[in-house]
Amino acid sequence: MAGYIGNLALFFSLIFNVFLIFSAIKEIRSNNFNNFKIINFCNNSIFFLLLISFLTLIYCFTVSDFSNVAVYQNSHTTKPLIYKISGAWGNHEGSMVLFILILSLFSFVFARNKVSEKLKFYTVFFQSILILIFLIFLILTSNPFDQIDPKPLQGLGLNPILQDPLLAIHPPFLYFGYVGFSLVFSFALAGLVTNNFDKSWSKIANFWIILPWSLLTIGIGLGSFWAYYELGWGGYWFWDPVENASLMPWLAATALIHSNIVTLKKDKLHSWTALLSIFTFIMSLLGTFLVRSGVLNSVHAFANDPYRGVYILSTILLITFFSLAIFIIKKPKKSLYGKYSFFQRDNFILINNCFLIFFLSVVLVGTVYPIILDAISGKSISVGPIYYHTILAPFLFLFLFFMSHGPLLSWNKEDKFLQIKNFKIFFPISIVISLMIIFWFFDYKDIILILGLLFSVYLIVSIIFDWITQKKLSFNFGRLISHLGFGTLIFAIFINAYLSKEINAAMKVGDEIKIQEFIIKFKSINKIKKENYEEVFGNFLVTNKDKQVELTPSIRKYDRPVQFTSETSIKTNFIVDYYFAINLSEFEKEKIMVRFYYKPLMFWIWLSILLIAFGGIYQTFRLRNEK
Amino acid sequence: MKNKYKIIILGITIVIIFILFLRVLNSNKTYQPNQMIGKKIPEFILEDLLNKNTKLDSNILSGKDFAILNIWASWCIPCRIEHPFLMDLKDKNQINIIGLNYKDESVNAKNFLKKYGNPYSLIGIDKKGEVAIQLGAYGVPETYVLKRGKIIFKHIGPLNEDAVNKILELKK
Repeated sequence: MAGYIGNLALFFSLIFNVFLIFSAIKEIRSNNFNNFKIINFCNNSIFFLLLISFLTLIYCFTVSDFSNVAVYQNSHTTKPLIYKISGAWGNHEGSMVLFILILSLFSFVFARNKVSEKLKFYTVFFQSILILIFLIFLILTSNPFDQIDPKPLQGLGLNPILQDPLLAIHPPFLYFGYVGFSLVFSFALAGLVTNNFDKSWSKIANFWIILPWSLLTIGIGLGSFWAYYELGWGGYWFWDPVENASLMPWLAATALIHSNIVTLKKDKLHSWTALLSIFTFIMSLLGTFLVRSGVLNSVHAFANDPYRGVYILSTILLITFFSLAIFIIKKPKKSLYGKYSFFQRDNFILINNCFLIFFLSVVLVGTVYPIILDAISGKSISVGPIYYHTILAPFLFLFLFFMSHGPLLSWNKEDKFLQIKNFKIFFPISIVISLMIIFWFFDYKDIILILGLLFSVYLIVSIIFDWITQKKLSFNFGRLISHLGFGTLIFAIFINAYLSKEINAAMKVGDEIKIQEFIIKFKSINKIKKENYEEVFGNFLVTNKDKQVELTPSIRKYDRPVQFTSETSIKTNFIVDYYFAINLSEFEKEKIMVRFYYKPLMFWIWLSILLIAFGGIYQTFRLRNEK
Repeated sequence: MKNKYKIIILGITIVIIFILFLRVLNSNKTYQPNQMIGKKIPEFILEDLLNKNTKLDSNILSGKDFAILNIWASWCIPCRIEHPFLMDLKDKNQINIIGLNYKDESVNAKNFLKKYGNPYSLIGIDKKGEVAIQLGAYGVPETYVLKRGKIIFKHIGPLNEDAVNKILELKK
């Protein structure tokens, strides 16, 4: 019954959508834009209908209505409530509903803004075309309300890997980010079509770029956080194609934020900003394609269905073709570059924009090329961390350098060579700090590490300097926080990459081993019996110089059926994570295989990502209040 | 350059990308970014489905020269499709096949084997699917080829002739 309502709501939203597009085309033909009321009414109705549909789906999952195929395949009566609810978007069909709902939500909120009628009209028009395309896709190939008759008694259960509170909120954040970029895409097309691509466009766009960007940052961070704590591989980023799929729109959007500021401040780079607005959403669509078409297999991939793949591929390429064609025809003609000078803020932003696009290309090639090569020639090549690290690192240093100086330069007049004064302050400080770190902590000196530390410290120092001498702190606060977060992130990543340690050893109770600078003592072993499992705790004492940490990893032995699971023990503090795990098969033997990871600055990696996102969120609030 | 030409070039590019990706979609080989290939299988101990006193220990697998680990379930329809291939691998090619019974009811699993035959020398009960996750599995069925406990090849989805040939080739 509930499924029936949801299905009906989907169907009606489709009708309203068709009607909206139809009447919008009529208005465009007659060239009067007085009738925004009808469009607005349709736009609101679409949103509420989709909301009803999504809530109904959540309801079906909550009450475990197994007559619904999506529920049957992805839920189970014994699951805790939170996983029943999150099951609603933990599958292909349900997450597509969420996808479309967010498209519509952005359109709904945007239509409430103070924007010129014509711009608003076209934005809603383009947005509803996107909604229509994905609604048809949903209804034709992946209707979440398909029924099974007779109704099964029990569902197949949610993939256990998805049963984690963090993973319940990770996808919505990502979708808000990914799909959120659709609005600036539609808005850019509207600006191009109406020849309104100028400073006032940028002013409004600013909010709609930074908001999804911040949410995407959080989404990526959550995914990474989960991988580190749950997967137990001791890492937080694996350059997995699906991770890359979320990084690509992030990089494009980061470039867009900055080029849009140049458009706003100096009334230039219009074409570039317009192109990036389109490109950012196309990158989101590429991610959607990679994850949903079945070309990839990963934790994130959904069921394979070749028809879906072809449909998504065709629509994405059509959207790409038409949006770029509009760009080519209606490209802003203004060439207001004015006097060019190198040491000027907008020029530094442009340079770093090029770097960001370069990073994006590296990730794009590393992600897509192996897939295509495999399909065409049957050759498998593996593109792993080494590829990314070797290619990206040298350019990252230059990027950090320009990032340090850009904000200190002025918008309008040519400054002296990077304001020699700054130069004189930053370099000595950062060289001293990085050398201190290197000599205190490292036995060997790797040039990449030295440069990484040097330039990230350089960036941090420049931001602190900027912060102290700042006259308009509230205006620049968001930028300072985000940039600071980026500086500490790179710093923490470098330290973590070079200082992490892994120890594997076989131990029995009473053993004390000394490996590298660690002394690991296996103190005791305790058994606890619980209702459905028996748990064996190993009690370890790790001594690192004069610091002592107690860790108690365990193995659980479940009764029916007999199954063993390993529980890691992680002690986190500001400086370092101690990460301990026991290998399973040695259970009940005298000697136990243990794994110990020493992971410095993990806390700072998470904090930095939060800072980056927080800067963005602060900025969106400031922009809201400014209006 | 005139806009018309730019759009034509754009159109041609899009068509080329379309054709490229269409080939990707149509090729059965799904690209797998897999960290597990070349690595040792994770450690686990599971109860055997048919014999309560036997245990499937990952260490046993490490001692074997060549073995296949197949993840299956009685509720999984594609598993029925691939079952004859497994039977052939066992009967004709004398390959040691180890089963991992994924999130299944033991009664159903036993009936399944009675009906279609049992290609497995040992079957671990992976009731919660945790071992499958550690293996990096995406679903059922899935087949891993192990050489001294190291994963050297992985096939996602039901086995087909191509996959079987590949397995036989690896055995040589």
